[in-house]
Amino acid sequence: MSHGRERPPLLALTAGSVAALFFLLPLAGLLWRAPWRSVGSDLGAPDVRTALRLSLETSLAATALCLLFGLPLAWVLARLEFPGRRLLRALTILPMVLPPVVGGIALIYAFGRRGIVGQYLDRWFHIVLPFTTKGAILAEAFVAMPFLVITAEAAFRSLDRGFEDAARTLGASRWTVFRRVTLPLAGPALAAGSVLCWARALGEFGATITFAGNFPGTTQTMPLAVYLSLESSRPQTAIVLSLVLLLVSLGVLVGLRDRWLGVA
Amino acid sequence: MSAQVQVRLGSLELDVELEVPPGRIVGLLGPNGAGKTTLLRVLAGLLPPDTARVVLDGRVLDDTTTGEHVAPEARPVGVVFQNYLLFPHLSALENVAFGLRSRGVPKAEARARAAEWLDRVGLAEFRASRPKQLSGGQAQRVALARALATEPRLLLLDEPLAALDASTRLETRRELRRQLDGYDGVRVLVTHDPIEAIALAERLVVLEAGRISQIGTPQEISERPRSRYVADLVGVNLFRGQAAGDEVLIGTSGRLVAPGAGRGEVFAVVHPHAVSLYRQPPAGTPRNVWEGTAEALDLEGERVRVRVGGPLPIVAEVTPGAVADLALGDGGPVWVSVKATEVTVYPV
Repeated sequence: MSHGRERPPLLALTAGSVAALFFLLPLAGLLWRAPWRSVGSDLGAPDVRTALRLSLETSLAATALCLLFGLPLAWVLARLEFPGRRLLRALTILPMVLPPVVGGIALIYAFGRRGIVGQYLDRWFHIVLPFTTKGAILAEAFVAMPFLVITAEAAFRSLDRGFEDAARTLGASRWTVFRRVTLPLAGPALAAGSVLCWARALGEFGATITFAGNFPGTTQTMPLAVYLSLESSRPQTAIVLSLVLLLVSLGVLVGLRDRWLGVA
Repeated sequence: MSAQVQVRLGSLELDVELEVPPGRIVGLLGPNGAGKTTLLRVLAGLLPPDTARVVLDGRVLDDTTTGEHVAPEARPVGVVFQNYLLFPHLSALENVAFGLRSRGVPKAEARARAAEWLDRVGLAEFRASRPKQLSGGQAQRVALARALATEPRLLLLDEPLAALDASTRLETRRELRRQLDGYDGVRVLVTHDPIEAIALAERLVVLEAGRISQIGTPQEISERPRSRYVADLVGVNLFRGQAAGDEVLIGTSGRLVAPGAGRGEVFAVVHPHAVSLYRQPPAGTPRNVWEGTAEALDLEGERVRVRVGGPLPIVAEVTPGAVADLALGDGGPVWVSVKATEVTVYPV
C-alpha cells in the first residue's frame, strides 16, 4: 500500500480546499467580530442571562422527556416484533429530516388550543402548551427525540442478549435485567445519544418559534435571542450568544470524538 | 428431573424424553446443531417449548397441557453458559452476588456469600477483577460460582470447557469435576467432546438431529454404539445388517462371520486394531477375508488408521512399520482379515 506516495490530484485538492474554507471562514468571521473585551459584561446582561437560563432549563427538560419516553420506544423498536415496526421507526426518524418550522405547525394542530389533543388538555386539565415554556420544551423534544431513539435502538440491538438471559436465570425479573444489565451495558451509547439529543434541543429554533413564540423569559431561548438581537440591531448580544452555542457544539464534538470521529 | 420436550426451531425438530434421578450428572453429547443448547434453553425457561412437561423435584416447571410455564427467574435452575457471559460491567464478586441480590438477599450478605463462593473456587484474590481481566479458566470458575451461588436444584452447563485452550482445559476439567462432585442437585452437561463427557458424566445421553439416539454409561456407549456418530466418536467400525445364524449380512454384498449372531436386525462392531491388512491373500484360517482398496491414511497417536474401500468399507489400525512394509501409502488393492471372535454383535 503506497497510495500516499502518489502525487495528489490537483482538482481534488483545489475543490477540497474550497470546501474546507467554506466551512471554516464563517467560524473565523464569528471569532473575528467577537467583542472579546466585553464578553464578560455582555454575558452578564439581563436579557442574555435570561435566554441562557431558559435555554438550559428547556433543553435539559426536553432531554429528560426524551429519555423518559424515547428509551422505552427504542427498546420496543429493538426488541419486539410487530406489524408496522419499520413504519414506526421511519416516523420516529422523520423529525430529523422534517423542516423544524413544519414540525412547529404540526405541533400547533396537535397540541395547540384547537389541536386534536390540545383542546382536551385545555378543557379538561387547563393545560395550555402553545406560547408557554412547556410548549418550548415540547417543541425541542419533538425535534431532538430521534437522535436519542436511533442511538439507543442501535445500542439495544447490538447488545448480546445472552447477558440478559444469564441475568434472568440468576433470578432477575425483566425490570431488574433492564436496570442492572441492559442499561449499564448500553450506557456509553445512551450517554452519547443523550448528549446529541440535548445539543439538538439547545439549538432548536424553527419549531420553537412557530409553536411557542418568542417571549423573553418564557419561550425566548438562546437561538431565538440570537435572531432577535440581530433583527433589532444588537449584534453584540447575537455574537456572544452564538459563541456560547459554538462552544457547546465544540464541547459535544470533543466529548463524542471517540464515538463519531473514530479517534483512537 | 423428568423432561418431555418438543420444540421446533428453524430446521431443528427437537423431540426428547429425559429422566435424571436426583443428584445425578448426565452428559448430553451430540454433534453441532443436534439441539443440545435448545434443550438447555427450554429447561432454563428461556425458550418456550411447543409441547413439554418438565418436572423438577416434584415441581412442575413446564406443562403445555395446562399452560404452566415458570419464568426463568423463578426456576431453581442455574446455568453456566458457553461463553460464560459474565457481566462485563461488574466485578467477579458482583457477578457472583448478582443472583443473590436478584433474589432479594441484602447487599452485605450477598457480597459475603459471593466472597465465600469465590474462595471455594480458588479465586479469593480476584474479587475486584473485571471479567476482562480474568483468564478463560478463571472466568469459567466465576461463571460456575455465579450459577451455584443461588443454590439451584438443577445445574445446566453448556460446553463449559469449549472456550478454553488445550493447555488449561485439563486442569479446569479436573477442578470442574471437583466442584460438580460437591454439588447435590441434578447436573446436565452439554458437550460435543466425548472425552469431556466421559470425564465428567456418569451417564451419557446422545442427541442427534433432535432425537435421543442412545442412553447409557460411557462404557456401555463406547462398547455398543448405536449410531454412526457415536461409532466415529469412539473410533470403531459399526455395521448394521441382518443376522443369520453365525453370520451378519450387510448391504448387498457384505458379510461378516460372527458365531452366535442370532437372527434379525443387528449392529456389528469391529475395533480397528482387530483388522489386519495384507498385500497377498492371507494364509491360515481367518473366516473373514476379503479384498479391498487402501484409500486414505490418518496418523492417530502411535498408530495409523487406514481406510479400506470395497464390499465392506472398514478402517484398520496398523503400526507405521506395517504401513511402510506394505507400502500402504501407494494405495491399491489390499486383503482385509478380521477374526470372527473380534466381531461384537447386538440387536438394534
